[in-house]
Amino acid sequence: MMKNKVDVAIIGGGIIGLYTAYELHKRGVDNIAIYEKNYLGSGSTFRCGTGIRQQFGDEANIRMMKRAVEKWTGLGEEINFPKFKMAQTGYLFLLYDEDEMSRFKKNVELQNSLGVPSRIISPEEAQEIVPTLDTSEVIGASWNPTDGKANPFLAVHGLARYLRENGVEINEYTEVRDVIVKGGAVDGIKTSRGEVKAEIVLNAANAWAKIINEKLGVNFPIEPYKHQGIVSEPFKKGEIKPMVISFRHGGAYLTQKANGGIIGGIALKYGPTWDLTPTYDFLREVAKNFTRIIPALKYITIIRQWAGYYAETPDHNAVIGKVKEIDGYYISAGFSGHGFMLAPAAAEGMADLITKGSTSLPLDFYDPYRFERGELREQAVQMG
Amino acid sequence: MRIEEHPVIDFTRRRGKKVTIYFEGKPIEAYEGEPIAEALHAAGIRVMNYAPKTGRARGLFCAIGKCSSCLMKVNGIPNVRTCITLVEDGMKVERQRGLEPLPRDYRPPKWKEAKRVEADIIIIGGGPAGLMAGAKAAEHGAKVALMDENPILGGQLVKQTHKFFGKREQFAGVRGIKIAEILEKDAREKGVDIYLETSAIGIFQDGDRKLVAAVRKNKELIEFVGKAVIVATGAMEKMIPFENNDLPGVYGAGAIQTLMNTYGIKPGKRVLIVGAGNVGVILAYQLIQAGVDVIAVVEAMPKVGAYFVHAAKIRRLGVPIYTRHTILRAEGKEKVERAVIAEIDDRWQPIPGTEKTYDVDIIALAVGLRPSIELLHQAGAQIVYVRELSGYVVRHDDRLETTVRGIFVAGDSSGIEEATTAMLEGKLAGLAAALFVGAADLRAIDEMKKVRQDIEEFRSGPFGERIRIGEEKVMIR
Ligand SMILES: Cc1cc2nc3c(=O)[nH]c(=O)nc-3n(C[C@H](O)[C@H](O)[C@H](O)COP(=O)(O)OP(=O)(O)OC[C@H]3O[C@@H](n4cnc5c(N)ncnc54)[C@H](O)[C@@H]3O)c2cc1C
Ligand SMILES: Cc1cc2nc3c(=O)[nH]c(=O)nc-3n(C[C@H](O)[C@H](O)[C@H](O)COP(=O)(O)OP(=O)(O)OC[C@H]3O[C@@H](n4cnc5c(N)ncnc54)[C@H](O)[C@@H]3O)c2cc1C
Ligand code: FES
Repeated sequence: MMKNKVDVAIIGGGIIGLYTAYELHKRGVDNIAIYEKNYLGSGSTFRCGTGIRQQFGDEANIRMMKRAVEKWTGLGEEINFPKFKMAQTGYLFLLYDEDEMSRFKKNVELQNSLGVPSRIISPEEAQEIVPTLDTSEVIGASWNPTDGKANPFLAVHGLARYLRENGVEINEYTEVRDVIVKGGAVDGIKTSRGEVKAEIVLNAANAWAKIINEKLGVNFPIEPYKHQGIVSEPFKKGEIKPMVISFRHGGAYLTQKANGGIIGGIALKYGPTWDLTPTYDFLREVAKNFTRIIPALKYITIIRQWAGYYAETPDHNAVIGKVKEIDGYYISAGFSGHGFMLAPAAAEGMADLITKGSTSLPLDFYDPYRFERGELREQAVQMG
Repeated sequence: MRIEEHPVIDFTRRRGKKVTIYFEGKPIEAYEGEPIAEALHAAGIRVMNYAPKTGRARGLFCAIGKCSSCLMKVNGIPNVRTCITLVEDGMKVERQRGLEPLPRDYRPPKWKEAKRVEADIIIIGGGPAGLMAGAKAAEHGAKVALMDENPILGGQLVKQTHKFFGKREQFAGVRGIKIAEILEKDAREKGVDIYLETSAIGIFQDGDRKLVAAVRKNKELIEFVGKAVIVATGAMEKMIPFENNDLPGVYGAGAIQTLMNTYGIKPGKRVLIVGAGNVGVILAYQLIQAGVDVIAVVEAMPKVGAYFVHAAKIRRLGVPIYTRHTILRAEGKEKVERAVIAEIDDRWQPIPGTEKTYDVDIIALAVGLRPSIELLHQAGAQIVYVRELSGYVVRHDDRLETTVRGIFVAGDSSGIEEATTAMLEGKLAGLAAALFVGAADLRAIDEMKKVRQDIEEFRSGPFGERIRIGEEKVMIR
């Protein structure tokens, strides 16, 4: 039987919902429940490109990601699931013109000032890192060895197992249809399996966050966009260790997974839309652009293609905070293509906010009300 | 080992020009028109690669491009399906040992826009179902393009040297290989545009049309665009679990037929067959025709599944059929050298003390087929598991249209049956698609009625009962 009263009800069983539950549990909140309309990870999390990077262009995202990487690298041990490991194989942004170069030089300075060990390297150094790169037109690269990737399936599985063992209730195939509000404060939720009393509700429904918000008369601009990914057949491990990124080539990102296949995509997007049919244009453009970055990929076969949502906001930064209109209602959604990597820091910030009312992390940057005040952030690079 | 004399087929006349390929540097004689794996097999080479995870030797299994067991490095390109890639003079072929590194090739490919083939109807698969669908649709005025990933048209038919059963108008008494020739000729005469060695890799929506992305000869991308798609991709062989079932020499029945009946290559010297349905028993007969010893046929069921005449024929030739027996394990170093079988009890457990060991170099699995539905699944068609149709199949209506508008299915890919029903379903799908694209007129509707009657009649006997139950489960009304 599903509990009919909890302290915190979390809508959404993606990486954000799960990690936030974990951080709340660490802070001693013990009556937590997660409601997931499908199965855990089925939203964007299992469809993501697995990338984790600290190479952002603004202070808040860099600080958040620095914290997130510290947490990602320790997670496996903490939850007694050593199989989960963040692979710190680096992020390599390939640069093809002076414009890109000056932008990335500035970013690297900022990153260095905040303790991220990124640096600009030569085309030759880039080729040492990825020997099959075609560097004939590359003028340099922005390289950070402490970035990397992690397996979202293992992250979700490990966290869910830990949470269940520690008394957190995880309800799959349970849709939250409404949030019950009484006298301006949250009183509970209506689910497809009955009502549950709760004084605190967190909307971690990412691409679907708007649907619940609208019922409550609150509105933050989060829209679903269709993005796609591919994986290839495996080849010898270690050939493409870092995440390789090229804006010149359709905003391509690609890296080798643990089994030796590549995972990646390009920036081509459709929307706003709820349609998730994979498109031929994407497949063709991936083939075209990937083989220009690493020509030898022309010998490799793509074996899968899929689509998922980026929950996009106008400045491509998430919406994290307390919803002022309704007491006890919080939101952590709209991650715009980098919610997997941010999850540990976003979760820490949100758990602080719920339990203490404040956090030392720069959550203000993701203030839900910045849009209505017209204070958009500089657009963050969306891709993994 | 090549077959020089055969009662039904004259291979010496069929073979193309002699060429030389190089296997790990060693010259091997081959003939134009035959795939790499088949040529290597003829030269006694059975191990194609060593599996990435276990390091175990792997050889052919399906021989029609569906299982990836035969991957090798060809001219430096890893993971080539050698069973459907034709030899070329001077080709360099190497075994893969685990995962291959990326070739050190720094030449970005010249990106050519893909060749675009436009038609009303795109057909994937050139077996009896696909060929018949193409001919019918073309006859009713539709422009049809058809692709098949194998180098020869006819699907499973090209390996059937025996004469078919059934009704006169469905080619009873004609050998399968002959039926394939008749169907191909008919489709070509009616103007079906045919692409061989062309694998469909995905079905996509392209505005209000469908786009089938395909790759010819592992290198050329072709975009087939049409208003309707008929998927007639046939089936692939099932595998059963037993110790060492991955040893080179454990082959699907169809692979053995491909070797000996299509390319005139002796699969081995001594064969044990697992499964006494029609396929297993016909295979036994065909092996004997090709001069190969069949040691025994084992069958787990208490009764032989094959038609009585087929079973009687091989018994007369001295091949024992052991019912209530199963294979326990294959033995040998990097290739099959022995097979161990045993009797099973009512709970399907091997009975200790009943083991028998045979010296064989081939174990043929004739344990059934399952529909090839991968492309239909990818295209978003609704899939259900139906035991009576041998696995996962797509839901369809009585015009064989799936739950994706404009995508039709026919033949074994809609549920395992026979060539006769594959042809009839092909007709039906061809007519329905021709109507769908607006090419055919009302006469096609009358013809569809007639074809449906033929199908019903064919399935009406006791042998058709299973299929009738299965069809009930997939039918959308
Ligand atoms: C192709 C692609 C590549 C990407 N690459 C990267 C990358 O490399 N790095 C990176 O950091 N990020 C990447 N992302 C983004 C990343 O996947 C997301 O930002 C992240 O998974 C968001 O996690 P989440 O928990 O907020 O959302 P989700 O995983 O979508 O979880 C939300 C969950 O809420 C559930 N839900 C919705 N409504 C309800 C309801 N009413 N009741 C109950 N449950 C509900 C949904 O079913 C869903 O499971 C990528 C995304 C895509 C599509
Ligand atoms: C040993 C044996 C004996 C048989 N005896 C009889 C008999 O006596 N009477 C009888 O009626 N039936 C018999 N059959 C069954 C009959 O051969 C099959 O049912 C029939 O061939 C099915 O036709 P199909 O067109 O659906 O598929 P297939 O004949 O399997 O043809 C499918 C075609 O699709 C192609 N293809 C698949 N995927 C792709 C792709 N992605 N891209 C491009 N092309 C693709 C394949 O290359 C193949 O050529 C026998 C079968 C066997 C194995
Ligand atoms: S794919 Fe070649 S043997 Fe199966």
